[in-house]
Amino acid sequence: MIPRPDADSEDRVIFLRDAKFTYESGVEALKGVTLVIDKGEYLAVVGGNGSGKTTLAKHLNGLLRPTGGQVLVMGVQASTRTVAELARVVGYVFQNPDHQLFCRTVHDEVSFGPANIGLDGPEVKRRADRAIAVMNLSDIRDRPPLSLTLGLRRRVSIASVIAMEPQVLVLDEPTTGLDAREADELMAIIRRLNDEGTTIVLITHEMKLVAEHANRVVVMMDGKVVLDSDTRGAFSDLGLLRRSKLLPPPVTQLAHRLSQIGVSKDILTPQELVFELTRGDDQ
Amino acid sequence: MTGFLDLYSEKDTFLHRLDPRVKLLAVALISVLAFILTELLYLVVLLCFILLLLVLARSSYGKAFFALKFVVRFMILITLLWPLFDRSGAPVLFSIGPLDITEPAVWRGATSAVRVGCFATLWYILMFTTSQRDLVRALVKLGLRFDYGLALAISFRFIPTFGLTIESIKDAQRARALELDKGSILRRSRNYVSILVPTIVYALRTADTLALTLQSRAYGAFSNRTYLREIRMRASDYVAMTVVVLILLLPALAKYIYGVQI
Ligand SMILES: Nc1ncnc2c1ncn2[C@@H]1O[C@H](COP(=O)(O)OP(=O)(O)OP(=O)(O)O)[C@@H](O)[C@H]1O
Ligand SMILES: [Mg+2]
Repeated sequence: MIPRPDADSEDRVIFLRDAKFTYESGVEALKGVTLVIDKGEYLAVVGGNGSGKTTLAKHLNGLLRPTGGQVLVMGVQASTRTVAELARVVGYVFQNPDHQLFCRTVHDEVSFGPANIGLDGPEVKRRADRAIAVMNLSDIRDRPPLSLTLGLRRRVSIASVIAMEPQVLVLDEPTTGLDAREADELMAIIRRLNDEGTTIVLITHEMKLVAEHANRVVVMMDGKVVLDSDTRGAFSDLGLLRRSKLLPPPVTQLAHRLSQIGVSKDILTPQELVFELTRGDDQ
Repeated sequence: MTGFLDLYSEKDTFLHRLDPRVKLLAVALISVLAFILTELLYLVVLLCFILLLLVLARSSYGKAFFALKFVVRFMILITLLWPLFDRSGAPVLFSIGPLDITEPAVWRGATSAVRVGCFATLWYILMFTTSQRDLVRALVKLGLRFDYGLALAISFRFIPTFGLTIESIKDAQRARALELDKGSILRRSRNYVSILVPTIVYALRTADTLALTLQSRAYGAFSNRTYLREIRMRASDYVAMTVVVLILLLPALAKYIYGVQI
């Protein structure tokens, strides 16, 4: 939780220092959050309802300004930049795609962001085409986005954000309402973006996604970060997770139950459990 | 943007307990009284009485301040502007260029301002002490068709939700580098389309879902429906009603029968 002093500031894309936020209604949604996000990380932010995940995420691109403490994006005080300026660096995908889709075609929709940041015509087109290709939307590029299925609408909304080619991509509950296949496809695409160097901040309730994809987990509870560790470490403390109203994925729970017979508790995927169990047979 | 229609707060005062129909009647009759009164002094007395009711309603300082801010601003505006447009009477107090500011006009301006202050504060007290549900129920009891009443209640209910959604839509577009108040007028109006379309789509979807929800709860299956909570006049409500009627009747009699200047 303490910012690593050895972290090279070049790699540090986001730095929250004791960030606090109180809504006008008086709700104290962030009570001093310190968080460093390095370039290329795949970070999952988890926590119960109302723990402050969305509030935290909205600070990363300036939609909310801290009422105390500091938020630095690429080493610059976020408070000195407009949302439009920050949007080039930090892409934020809202939970509900219907809150952003309004154009006649998928292509127009995806071009909206790049056009807003003042790029010229050919560059807007290049970026839109690339985003459409990345999100596998080429077949439906001329369809009206509002008439697509939820899974596709969500992909269009993500495409419309990555078309601005941000270094950091924040996704708020990207898999809610998707069936297993759509969710898997989406997560595979996000995985690929991360492999290509985009820093991912994934806000989710689904611990299975966290176990399979993230390499670092931040657990929030009641406006504070209560755990910040690598994914394996995060699932070893069941008590803390339970207090944060979270449950590790079923396979990890099973591993915890099987720990008496020597299975290690930090199992994250079924494959690992199978490996662990068959190895046990050998001995 | 949100919250401004949610003036009601749950309290236990006689104004909260009063039958909403009596409260509607009181607002109507006291407003008529404010019309009948023409002397500034009596209007100020009436305004003081209404402010006393506001205190008795124990409305939170935040809400009362919010409401009174508008009322006071409006009153000041009327006081200042009235003499500019009403130039009758004498003596002339002073002139600004071709404009003569006359003394009677200044008094008339102040009188109108206090009158408007009375109307506005009355409405605020009604909204502070009556839940929207009770208000709609009272209107239905007074003969409004139930489906209109329901429509009214639903609109009240959805205004805050709607406000939040519009905020969220704005944020979602700002995250795509939309800058609402930048660029030419044409550019700006095009920017607003990006807010308007998702808002309309949301409204239509919500309306659709709502219609299904109502139907699946057998809305309209029987024409003479019953109510979970009936509003019923109690003795205290009749007392309050009598008091309100007298508050109007006595000054009205004094003025129109006995010719007292009030
Ligand atoms: N616009 C707002 N105005 C006032 N309070 C708010 C607002 N948005 C959120 N809150 C409050 O702030 C706290 C944190 O909310 P936040 O949305 O950040 O939680 P979350 O972790 O994203 O929850 P969820 O899992 O439900 O999305 C909650 O108590 C919530 O009620
Ligand atoms: Mg949230």
